[in-house]
Amino acid sequence: MDRIRTRLRAIFRPEGDQSLLRLQRRRKLVSALTQRVDLIKWSFFLVGYLWMLALPSQQLGRGIYIDENALQPGQVNTYWNWGDVAAADRYLEQLEGLRDANASSHLRASTLAAEFMKLGIPASTQNYRFSSSVGTVEGTNAYAIISSPRTSGTEAMVISASWVSRIDEANGALNLRGVSTVLALAGFLKKYSLWAKDIVFVVSDGHMDGMQAWLNAYHGRTQSNLEADELELTSGVIWTALNIDYPGHSFSHLGIFHEGINGRLPNQDLLNSLTWIARWTVPVIIYDHLETPRLQIPSWMPNSLRDEIRTYDYRSRNVLRHVKHQARGRGSGVHGLFHQFRIDAFTMFALPATGPHGFHALGHIIESTLRTTNNLLERLHASIFFYILTASEHFLKIGSYLPSAIMISVAMMFSGLKVWSDSAWVMSSDEKGSTWIQRRRPVLPVLVIMFSTHILGCSVFALTKTSWFINNLKTSSAIILALCGTLPLSALFVPKQNPHTVAPMSQLLKALNLCFASTVISITTVVNFSLAATLAILLGIPLTVSLSSSLLPLRLGQYGAYLSLALGWLSAQEEIRSALWDWQILGVWFAPFVCIVYTPLVLQAAIACLLPV
Amino acid sequence: MRLLLFLLVVALVSAASQHEEVVGDFFSRSSNHTNNWAVLVCSSRYWFNYRHMANALGMYRTVKRLGIPDSNIILMLADDAACNSRNRFPGSVYANPGRLLDLYGENIEVDYRGYDVTVENFIRVITGRLDSSVPRNKRLLSDAHSNVFVYMTGHGGNEFLKFQDNEEISAWDIADAFEQMWQKRRYNELFFMIDTCQANTMYSKFYSPNILATGSSKLDQSSFSYENDADIGVSVIDRYTHYVLEYMENINKTSQTSMADLFAFYDPVKIASDPGVRSDLFRRPLDQVRITDFLGGVARAEVSDDDL
Amino acid sequence: MLRVTALRMAKSTTLTLPALAGCRIALALATDLYDTLKHNHQLASPLTSYLNLQEGVFLFKNGVNPYSGGVFRHSPILLSLFTTVIPTSRRLASILWTLSDIAGAWALVQLWRARQRAPQTSRDGLVAAAYLLNPYLFLPTLALSSSTFENTLTLLSLMFAAQGNASLALVSAAILLHLSLPSILLSAPLILLLSSSNGPLSQLASPRAFTPNDKKWIALLGEYVAYAVFLSVISTLVSGGLSWIPQTWGANITLPDLTPNVGVWWYFFTEMFDHFRPFFLMVFSVHLIIYVAPLCIKFQYDPLYAAFVLLGVLGTFKAYPTMADIGLFASMFAVFPELFPYLRHPIVTILLHLHAALLMPLFHHLWLSQGTANANFFYATTLVFACANGAALTDCIWAGLRIAIGAPEEGFSVVQE
Repeated sequence: MDRIRTRLRAIFRPEGDQSLLRLQRRRKLVSALTQRVDLIKWSFFLVGYLWMLALPSQQLGRGIYIDENALQPGQVNTYWNWGDVAAADRYLEQLEGLRDANASSHLRASTLAAEFMKLGIPASTQNYRFSSSVGTVEGTNAYAIISSPRTSGTEAMVISASWVSRIDEANGALNLRGVSTVLALAGFLKKYSLWAKDIVFVVSDGHMDGMQAWLNAYHGRTQSNLEADELELTSGVIWTALNIDYPGHSFSHLGIFHEGINGRLPNQDLLNSLTWIARWTVPVIIYDHLETPRLQIPSWMPNSLRDEIRTYDYRSRNVLRHVKHQARGRGSGVHGLFHQFRIDAFTMFALPATGPHGFHALGHIIESTLRTTNNLLERLHASIFFYILTASEHFLKIGSYLPSAIMISVAMMFSGLKVWSDSAWVMSSDEKGSTWIQRRRPVLPVLVIMFSTHILGCSVFALTKTSWFINNLKTSSAIILALCGTLPLSALFVPKQNPHTVAPMSQLLKALNLCFASTVISITTVVNFSLAATLAILLGIPLTVSLSSSLLPLRLGQYGAYLSLALGWLSAQEEIRSALWDWQILGVWFAPFVCIVYTPLVLQAAIACLLPV
Repeated sequence: MRLLLFLLVVALVSAASQHEEVVGDFFSRSSNHTNNWAVLVCSSRYWFNYRHMANALGMYRTVKRLGIPDSNIILMLADDAACNSRNRFPGSVYANPGRLLDLYGENIEVDYRGYDVTVENFIRVITGRLDSSVPRNKRLLSDAHSNVFVYMTGHGGNEFLKFQDNEEISAWDIADAFEQMWQKRRYNELFFMIDTCQANTMYSKFYSPNILATGSSKLDQSSFSYENDADIGVSVIDRYTHYVLEYMENINKTSQTSMADLFAFYDPVKIASDPGVRSDLFRRPLDQVRITDFLGGVARAEVSDDDL
Repeated sequence: MLRVTALRMAKSTTLTLPALAGCRIALALATDLYDTLKHNHQLASPLTSYLNLQEGVFLFKNGVNPYSGGVFRHSPILLSLFTTVIPTSRRLASILWTLSDIAGAWALVQLWRARQRAPQTSRDGLVAAAYLLNPYLFLPTLALSSSTFENTLTLLSLMFAAQGNASLALVSAAILLHLSLPSILLSAPLILLLSSSNGPLSQLASPRAFTPNDKKWIALLGEYVAYAVFLSVISTLVSGGLSWIPQTWGANITLPDLTPNVGVWWYFFTEMFDHFRPFFLMVFSVHLIIYVAPLCIKFQYDPLYAAFVLLGVLGTFKAYPTMADIGLFASMFAVFPELFPYLRHPIVTILLHLHAALLMPLFHHLWLSQGTANANFFYATTLVFACANGAALTDCIWAGLRIAIGAPEEGFSVVQE
């Protein structure tokens, strides 16, 4: 016993001066860490990027489940019948007549409102007009409200259809069957007295604009570039909304579109309820991605591996689509607008096909889904707002996707701190030998440079908001490029300082730039993972490898590379146009984020290359 | 002298034990209660807990059918499923998928409803510590000759039962309340039945005499629902209560069926959990305890020789 | 040549404060951020929110005792000021608040000059900028949080004390006490500063025992108490009773309002069982007091430094902190440049602060506006914020003590026993 004790003491409390020993221990630890910091950094990068690649794999993530007890999905008989299908068909004929007669928005909306009123449901219309630098949009929405027969109507759920389908908005495919479903549902749902919430039917004009105007008016929010009528009819707090998009003649699958604007997602319970309800009738997929094999997999592969590759291929398409929708903050459809007001919503997209499903199946599923949302006692709140759907019945929890971007951000932080601590020391060699000497690190000028790049970003953004910019995209992009390309060149004229007393500005700028970029990435992960992941890919390694050299051509070459990374978006003109439209009409902050955060971050790295060593 | 004293003590002790046996025998023959009381508690609210209200109402119907009058039943329902706006059949509560029997009906007396169903009120009712303004029909007016049946249902866990989603009663609370009842001579015998997850933990802390207890599931077991009605849209009853009620349907006021028969009828496969029984505090053998001793009403006629 | 540069430098520094002040007034006039910031829990606590002040003024003007409800918790001094002298116009209010900030910046510059014992230095402009451009300070000002006045009064009382003007220093401290009870803890270093022979001069590098200046501190303490009592009497007369005491001072101890803020109290007490509440209220309050004596004893040779560290402690641990409280601590770093070479991990502290400062509004938004997160998210970031403040505090204490040992030399290192 005593022997063990002495041995333990030898390990934990060795003889000698305790402070000295502690100091030595700390030194050893610090030097072990600093020697391996590059290894640690690169392994974090590697693991982060590999993790990102692994997101669609079957091993990560799990099957969906329903968390909220109150929902009780799919436990009811549905009574939507062929008679209701016939009603929907009649509405469809009427709508086709309107379409063929090229009826105006106003006429369309008033016809719809009249149809609602024929059913004995209070209905009304709303005119709106958005003006923006990209152009003006106007239209008329129609809406109707069934009051809950046995409650006070403090809560409501919405069924909506936009006039234009989400399939290729540019082609102007109309959502006629979606609108007829809404009308027929109104007549059908009115017959039941078991609704604990008001049901609001909205047929919004256009694609996104109509619903934005309607939601703004419903929630009493004013938007400076929107003139819209006030709503004549209102109801209670909206908790859930279903948006119906049915552009084809028949459909084979129901696709879920769920990304909201600015990266907000609806509570997953709502999506899972639909998947659960529809599982015996219509196959549910996410987006319009059918699980058809695209890859030619060589025949010598074992079956299990082939399966794995197919699944990976399918899920990676889904994940990429999700990133595409979420990162740009645009949302994937009309449902995304509801998320601004804390309403959980998604779009049921009836995937056009020659069969086998039509109004009959759709009506059943919507009826059952409404019975489910009717059961809600409070807003959906359990924290399944953070997820990535890899397939309709499979998802990634926050813990299985977040670390990928975080690891890259940590790696960047490590690189930044390493550059920072290295910059404090310089090797000085004279005839006696070489010694390390400490030097000053003046932070203020570096902060001024960083701050001014962001100011530059702000002014670029202010410029893009003008209608002149949109109308002369080519010229104005060239001006921006010239402005952002030449101003930083002044860094070439920064005088070189004595490296033995003062740390070079290029190193300090690089260190702070890396730390700040890392902070931006880790903070963005919680609001918009897709954006953070994109940033991690675009900024991670490029910002880390920047280095200033004494050769001018090399410096200029690097500068050019960073400049193209910073302002490459100027070449995507269509993208700029829609991002600006999104910002001005819907308040999507992707455009300002790129101008004010992303571009300046890369410009800082570009300047770090220009500054003298 | 010492030896003599020792012998005396031994004799006294043996005499006393003999005496106890006689007394025990006398009491075990049959229950000598003169009145019956039932306290039926559904402690959970919300529409998706429809089945808990149906559990309590099913038990209410049974004890009423077996002869306990409404005046002797304290029915506590934490929510009103019958009048919920989501109920497709307003004013009715059904406990079976075919909706054959309306448990709510026209002849029902709920004594504590909605937010009146609290842990405090429950304990006050069974221990009799109510304000003087509380009317008689909301009181448990039992005495030392009463057989009391306590039925509880709701969401529970290890040694607790949730009330109203914001408070809970623990196994110790109930055990202490029963002890207080015993000390205040508020029961002769007490039958405690509970249907909730991990129900058997709820009676594990009892320490007062003459209590017979049973529960639907043991520690770490859930208590499952039986079936749902596709028009009401929720589960309508729990498995354990369903099978107990099914058994009770074959019993009438004159049945001689014993508690042992009921407990033997428990089928863990059908119930999907392991029901438990605790009889160590109870003095009579279970096969001599009629179900109607607790769930039925005493209607004893005394024949008198005297002229009136 | 040298004289010309010196002159130009002096001119530029004298111009910096007015220039910055002009910018701030322009900012206050040009932007109307009040409506977007007024409900922001990080910028204004229930004790300092302008909304609550307006509510109290309204009640008072309509003849209702504002302290009879649970909303108004501002001092009767502010109440009387806003019901009589100052009209509650928003535009005017934002200018008034900005002016208060400018006064604070001026006081900070004076404090710096007094510490340097120089009528003018080259760093004056930097010191003013550290106060006027600190987002932790100007955002609460735009949100019209009364913590702005608390900061100004704190700086004024320290400045007067540094200049040796005991009465004005104590009057400011007494008014400050009425605005915010925890500031009573500052009275200890303040009285030390007034009665010490060194004044505000930096003595960190040459510590020596405090030589008590006779019984001067007793007189000073008496004066402070007299002012405070006088103001209390006035408050009682103004509000027509003693009900203001539990509503204003009492709130700091009994924590009646659990509105989220950047501090560490609120979440803890939302989760607390009622029967533990009094005990933990006592623990949390006593915890604040514990710091006073050790800090004043350890830094007895430089009471200004003790006050600085104590301000950091208050900003981190008091019951209803706002960003402005820790902002004052952060801005006061500018007065102690001698610390900078001795800080052990400034960049880590700053990055921690940056993360917390960005995550707090974000999680607040996710929790209360967007509804996708919950209270734990926000509380977690307030803990990160508290950790960042704690890191800054421990580093300050370390550096403050470390200076005395002298510049680091090759082959030697300083450890704590």
